[in-house]
Amino acid sequence: MLPQLTIRQSAANDSSFGLFPRLLALTILFAVELLLISVWLDDAALISRGGLLGLAGHWGAWAVRGIVGFAAIFVTFAYLKSKAALTEISHQVKPLPVNLRLLAGHAVAMAVFGSASWALYGNHVGGSATGPVTLIWFLSGVCGIVLGAFAFMPRLLWARIIHDTGHLWAYTLLAVIFACVAGGYSRVLWQPSSRLTYALVKSLLGLFVSGIIANPATMHLGTTKFAVEIAPECSGYEGVGLILVFGVVWLWFFRDECRFPRALILIPAGVVIMYLLNAARITGLILIGNAGATRVALGGFHSQAGWIAFNAVALGFSLAARRLPWLTNTGHTMTAVAEPSTDSSDNSAATYLLPFLTILAVGMVTAAASRDFQWLYPLRFFAAAGALWFLRKRYAAVDWSFGWFGPAMGVLAFAIWLGMDALLNTRTHDAIPDALAGTTPAIRATWIAFRVLAAVITVPIAEELAFRGFLIRRFISADIEAVPPQSFTWLGLGITSVAFGILHGNLWFAGILAGLLYAWALLRRGRIGEAIVAHATTNALLAAYVLLFDKWHLW
Amino acid sequence: MQKIIGMMILIAGASQFAMASTAPVPEIGVGSASSALALISGAMLVLRGRRK
Repeated sequence: MLPQLTIRQSAANDSSFGLFPRLLALTILFAVELLLISVWLDDAALISRGGLLGLAGHWGAWAVRGIVGFAAIFVTFAYLKSKAALTEISHQVKPLPVNLRLLAGHAVAMAVFGSASWALYGNHVGGSATGPVTLIWFLSGVCGIVLGAFAFMPRLLWARIIHDTGHLWAYTLLAVIFACVAGGYSRVLWQPSSRLTYALVKSLLGLFVSGIIANPATMHLGTTKFAVEIAPECSGYEGVGLILVFGVVWLWFFRDECRFPRALILIPAGVVIMYLLNAARITGLILIGNAGATRVALGGFHSQAGWIAFNAVALGFSLAARRLPWLTNTGHTMTAVAEPSTDSSDNSAATYLLPFLTILAVGMVTAAASRDFQWLYPLRFFAAAGALWFLRKRYAAVDWSFGWFGPAMGVLAFAIWLGMDALLNTRTHDAIPDALAGTTPAIRATWIAFRVLAAVITVPIAEELAFRGFLIRRFISADIEAVPPQSFTWLGLGITSVAFGILHGNLWFAGILAGLLYAWALLRRGRIGEAIVAHATTNALLAAYVLLFDKWHLW
Repeated sequence: MQKIIGMMILIAGASQFAMASTAPVPEIGVGSASSALALISGAMLVLRGRRK
């Protein structure tokens, strides 16, 4: 266990700057800089320019994927497998100040990198100057990363992390290289796989409709009313790849609970089911289109059905691995599942997470059933309100009270939201959606009313119960009711805020900052009500801003 | 819970490679990735929490 990573009770007054806070600060610094510079980074603009610059255009995106993938794998396994070593390193780094000289050097390097990015990606440099500027761009980027890393933690401690985690860096590097190569070469398998998918869809379709139109040469399949081309990208590989990763990682992480080699059967079973569900997805898409709902088929259903299938298979995998006595050695049986499974009284995770999970699940289903506008959005409000009502007795111990601080944080988060939106220029169109504008005033007013009610009431309550009420404390103990509400760990604070931000799409960084502000609102007095009101204030101001100034892109 | 978060981090990392193609109508839409992963990780927390 990492003392300064998993912190301690009432840690709000502890100013120690251990390993995790440093890594978090470094990540945020890099993320902000990348965000600012990414305004100019468009690899497609470089591919045609040849030389070193063309190489950057071709491999830039893969390099970023590789770096992110390396960081994800290395940090995860280093934390899970080498906690003791990281604890020791964290103790050593605690008393050391951030090296301001190196930080200044980092700032200079990133300024050069930003300027070179502007010159190269904006096509402001050409001829013989392109090569040297590209070299400066590359070197300044590398220097920026290295100087930033060494500013937050001395070189020797970085070396110790590498040393104390054994060959993890090498395995991680191999895994990333393998993933890049496999990702590239897997496209070779798309063609035969899509032919099998084509045959499966044709068979399934025959069960529901007659007069199928099929052209194996062009891979077109459908009916006289609606047909699709089964492209190689739709061959089912993406879902199969994800369920493969999910299955392998699950069996590795929870290997103590699994009965091997039987449990290995779950991997091919998951892969086959996922593959078949992709064929079912395409069949469903054609049937929906054939029924006349063409825009639903090609809109929401197409983009959501894959994830719904993945979630269903992953959940089934987890249940089977944990509950089927033939596969598990934990003693949890199917009989146990038959016990009062809806009773959340002994499960704080259900109490705090179910309203939020309900919103996510209903959101996915309603999005799948929608065209280009989410008419079914009010269902999210009713589903979340229903979940909160169902669990209302379990919230008896929750402190809903609040003072001035929560609303103040909400206003600040709103200002940050607008600032980031202006900076990133996320606007696609400001006008009210055509579907909403074209309907009757009564329907429009009803839809807007439920949209506002969800934004100001159910969403803040559900999200704050999940992120600030449950997850932050869950990082301290599995028994969250025993954890004082003002307690937190830097790890928990960082991960919950990042997860919260990622759920907010393009404005993910504003989401992270908003998450930190809501957490501050909670931790100051230990009242979840403060965080809920902060969140509700932000959403209410955003709703007013959208409606009063016609800024519909923010919804 | 660290294991569940670790799983999601790895799956999110893997999804970068799975969704490396820029197909106009992908099987797995990148826009819904965060919600889908949040849903499955939350569901796993609830399922595992029931056994405490």
